[in-house]
Amino acid sequence: MLHDRYPGWNVLSQRDHWDEATRQVVLDRVQNVPPFRHLDHHQRRTLEAICDRVIPQAHRPPTKRVPIAPWIDRNMANRVLNGFRFEDMPANDDAWYWGLQGVDETAKELFGSEFVDLDGAQQDAVLQAIRVGEPPGSIWQRLPAKRWWIHVALRQICGVYYAHPYAWDEIGFGGPAYPRGYAALNHGAPEWWEPREVSPEGGEVAS
Amino acid sequence: MRLQVNLTPNWRLDCEMREYSPREEVDFCIVGSGAGGGVLAQRLSRYGFSVVVLEAGPWHDSERDMVSDEAGSARLYWNDLRITGGSDPLELGANNSGRGMGGSTVHYAAFCPRLHPSDFRVRTLDGVAADWPLSYEELEPYYERMEREYPVSGPARYPWGKPHGYPYAPLQAGTAGQKLIEGCVKLGIPVVAGGPVAIPAGAFGKRPHCIMRGFCLLGCKVGAKHSITVSHIPDAIEHGAEIRDRSIAYEIAVSPEGRATGVRYYRTADDGQWTEAEQRARAVVVAGYAIESPRLLLNSCSAQFPDGLANSSGLVGKFLMAQAGPVVWGRFPGPIRQYKAPPACACTEEFYETDPRNDFVRGYALQTVSPLPIAMSHLITDLGGCFGEELITRMQDYNHYAAIGVLGEILPDARNYVSIHPTLKDQFGIPVPYVHFNLFENDRRLIQAGIRKAKDVLLAAGATETWSVDRYAHLVGTCRMGFNPADSVVDKWCRTWDVPNLFVCDGSVLPTQGSANPAITISALAARLADWIRRAAVLGDLEYPPLAEVRP
Repeated sequence: MLHDRYPGWNVLSQRDHWDEATRQVVLDRVQNVPPFRHLDHHQRRTLEAICDRVIPQAHRPPTKRVPIAPWIDRNMANRVLNGFRFEDMPANDDAWYWGLQGVDETAKELFGSEFVDLDGAQQDAVLQAIRVGEPPGSIWQRLPAKRWWIHVALRQICGVYYAHPYAWDEIGFGGPAYPRGYAALNHGAPEWWEPREVSPEGGEVAS
Repeated sequence: MRLQVNLTPNWRLDCEMREYSPREEVDFCIVGSGAGGGVLAQRLSRYGFSVVVLEAGPWHDSERDMVSDEAGSARLYWNDLRITGGSDPLELGANNSGRGMGGSTVHYAAFCPRLHPSDFRVRTLDGVAADWPLSYEELEPYYERMEREYPVSGPARYPWGKPHGYPYAPLQAGTAGQKLIEGCVKLGIPVVAGGPVAIPAGAFGKRPHCIMRGFCLLGCKVGAKHSITVSHIPDAIEHGAEIRDRSIAYEIAVSPEGRATGVRYYRTADDGQWTEAEQRARAVVVAGYAIESPRLLLNSCSAQFPDGLANSSGLVGKFLMAQAGPVVWGRFPGPIRQYKAPPACACTEEFYETDPRNDFVRGYALQTVSPLPIAMSHLITDLGGCFGEELITRMQDYNHYAAIGVLGEILPDARNYVSIHPTLKDQFGIPVPYVHFNLFENDRRLIQAGIRKAKDVLLAAGATETWSVDRYAHLVGTCRMGFNPADSVVDKWCRTWDVPNLFVCDGSVLPTQGSANPAITISALAARLADWIRRAAVLGDLEYPPLAEVRP
């Protein structure tokens, strides 16, 4: 069970201290989750199931969960480019289509069912097989599994999750600080408005 | 035309900018507005030349477009398609690219060390790589000028290379930076704090001083950190240069006599539609950095120049170097909060030079880096693809990490190159670049040594656990300068051997890279080129091809 290291910290409570452009970008992310437009129903469910294993959020109240899959779908729909493609990888859309299909292939090879129908431990075993790089399944003959896992799946899932203020709350990040700036620079000290870290035993983590 | 753009909270550039018709022949058309092109445009317009700069990207308005947000800053990068391969393929876009006014200086960390004198003589000293056709002493006065114009903060005495001091006082370090200092001190490694970094420790003109928000790598909304947009571009405009935004060059036009006559480009309008144009010019300067510059030259092929322009040597695109930049981080028992203060604040160059005790030549620097949350999560997942509770728990330690960037010298090798992809085209229909990169034995040994040293420093500072992930930065070398038309693409002044009125003015010209972040070297070379042009134009030298140098 995850320990809440910064109890009560809500970085959005500082929004009045942010500049307008930053506030808009961050609030838009929280308030305007895009509808699915690109992936089909099964692809979408598979992607959501992968996101749930990479970033487990079941322990959080439903209103505090960060939607991840819709943003990955949106980037595909908007044909967002990131500046490069590995020569042994297909374009981003195909990387996701093939990867999601590959996850299902591996799930069937290992457990006889599609990924979304497996339990959590089985799903983890599928992802673990992909992570170490030699998962069963024909797709992985033409899609390098490790590269897909790290440079497509994890890059994009983490890129969405750690862009979200709820994730910042979890790691004690102070967030945007313009125009106010940061003043407490020594000994890893928090600003007067930042959270104190609490150890699993309950005491404040001192510098 | 009326230009209205915010550069800092209290500096709105609201002025008339000279506008040329593309049909009008200007003295210089410069492709790119970064550390090379921006400084050159400023110098040449001050010297009375008519100048048009074609910048592929937009202006970044500090109030409207710049945000304190990692995911919200993608517009600063060159995101168009490029293919990357080789045994150690480089990730492109993001930190090693830039698009828009100021190029990648908009989001660089602003570390501004000089090269060492030895960097100019690597072939002579170590028997590998190449010598430069100029010496450190020839570039030194331009380093000094750039350190005042950027300007650069740092210690009053900087002990490495040729010792020198910095004109602005050292910048305050955050806790993460203090850990590098603490670790070095414990191990007896000389170290400096507060620079060299192009963030003045006081207000500078209309640029306020730093508020320590730590978002240097996402563009400085404050305007405290240097970028060419705040240091040289306003002055260029004031002196009559036109900086034409959203204009991507795709071909250099050439006369039957083999002289450059202009640049063909696509300009994108507010509605997203683009039109084709050709800016006529008496001379052309390519300043698009180590991928776009060779791409433009190679795409400018014709019956006259079947292998691309300025490529009689076959070396355009060859000798690509990326600086090794592995990130090494440690977990500390107490809090660090590495997101505060500029990531660039302390460094040591104690391991920069060749040391006969090593099993490799040349060396590396250790510098502070401070990944923000998304960058940190990518480091952690790159380490072995962890996920689930393991990932979340490691990221919950975010505030306990301090990181060091090893900046290591990769030797130039013709087997590392930029070429044109045979079939793929970008959204404009321009053939895309293919980037090929391999590490070789010296590079691998050097990187491992750098990682070991960085771990020693973190452990000495009190880290209980350390990790490292390979990263690369600073692409240079693909239009190298040299002594004669057979060994290089440009001469010692950055003029191409093959086309007398065509120049390359960016990191592509570097024959070696040292372990120094290249921006200030690029700007110093640009200022030096401008001084040469000023003299040469009077003498009519641009009419004739360069003369080969006699090797010393």
